Amino acid sequence: MLIGRLALGALFVYAAYTKLKPLGAMPWSTSSLRISLSMFAMEVDSYQLLPAWGVNLVAHLLPPFELCLGLWLVSGIALRFSSLVTSVLLAGFFAGLTRAYVLGQEISCGCFGPGEQIGPKRLALEGCFLALALAVTIGAFLVHHRKHAAQFTGATSPAGAR
Amino acid sequence: MKTDQGVERTAAVLGSRRARYVLAVVAAVAAAVGVRAKPEAAPGQVRQARLTRTESLSAPMKAYGSRTAPITMEVFTDYECPMCRNLYEQTLRPLINDYVASGKVYLVHRDYPLNIPAHKYSGQAARWANVAAQLGEFETVEAALYDNQQAWDASGDIGKYVASALSKSDFSRVQRIMDTCAPPGPKGSPGTVVTPPHPCEVDPYIEKDIELGNQLPVTGTPAWMIIYKGQRLPPSTGFVSWTVLKEFFDNLLARG
Repeated sequence: MLIGRLALGALFVYAAYTKLKPLGAMPWSTSSLRISLSMFAMEVDSYQLLPAWGVNLVAHLLPPFELCLGLWLVSGIALRFSSLVTSVLLAGFFAGLTRAYVLGQEISCGCFGPGEQIGPKRLALEGCFLALALAVTIGAFLVHHRKHAAQFTGATSPAGAR
Repeated sequence: MKTDQGVERTAAVLGSRRARYVLAVVAAVAAAVGVRAKPEAAPGQVRQARLTRTESLSAPMKAYGSRTAPITMEVFTDYECPMCRNLYEQTLRPLINDYVASGKVYLVHRDYPLNIPAHKYSGQAARWANVAAQLGEFETVEAALYDNQQAWDASGDIGKYVASALSKSDFSRVQRIMDTCAPPGPKGSPGTVVTPPHPCEVDPYIEKDIELGNQLPVTGTPAWMIIYKGQRLPPSTGFVSWTVLKEFFDNLLARG
């Protein structure tokens, strides 16, 4: 489970980096960030799922959210919740990718920067990420349940019961 | 002395033979060039001769705006592709009327007729557009092809809709060239250029576009690439709305 959450955390940090990094040979700056985010907005727009305001909202919020989520996973704090959020997010991505593929949309995934086409390989990879996230989530809940169960058993085992 | 005279004589003979040989070669070349470029030919044919000497498709003929614009957008499309039509109608038209007209963007059209069964007439449509482009009527014919896409996709009668967009004389010039272009036209698929069984004089231009697309690479249409101050940004595929594209251009232009 440690490896799982570290892998997922690194994945999301990397995903955020690829969306935020300057295009071409541009140096890091606020203007290059704006350009990169608007490039990502075009990829979100190509799914033709959201209106223009929704596209901009997702494009500007998702990369920093992914960065925070990645760091949260790596920290291991409240793993049940971080892994649950990760699973929900990846399920959403997987659903979007599947829909685009089924509709025959020849578009870029937008998952790890521009230029990555949606296809069977991409879908399989996203499926693996989702499976990993679910495994970590289930594991985190099980561990939490066992910990609480053990505490409960220890607390209700009265000395005079014998 | 005898040697000098011999040398002189030999040189004279060689010189005259060489001269005759050179003259023969020059005459043959002149004859070939003369056949190709007939100054007295109709304007369309003269322009065609000029075009065949260029290595790449003449961008200004299938392009909108000023080449000095800070942003260049190259769009690879298939005239029979519905998403390409949507892109043209909803995004490229406002782009042309706004940012191209104001000199911010130089828009270049590239042909990429997809080699798929559903796009039976796309190669031929590209030929019509290229022939029209040779005669300076690209914008009109491109609009006609997209505006009537569903109609000619069903019937295959592309000429009818091109005719409705051009004047009689312009259409007859286009038709004269298209009469030599038996379908299908060139097609493209990732990594390959499918050359038609009956080549047409505009095919090299379409095939050149397909080759450029395969370098991107184009995996579907519409596909487009933006060049900003000489820097090629990563290519994209699919539809993009004008609002979102405009914001991208604004951010690029704001960077300076």
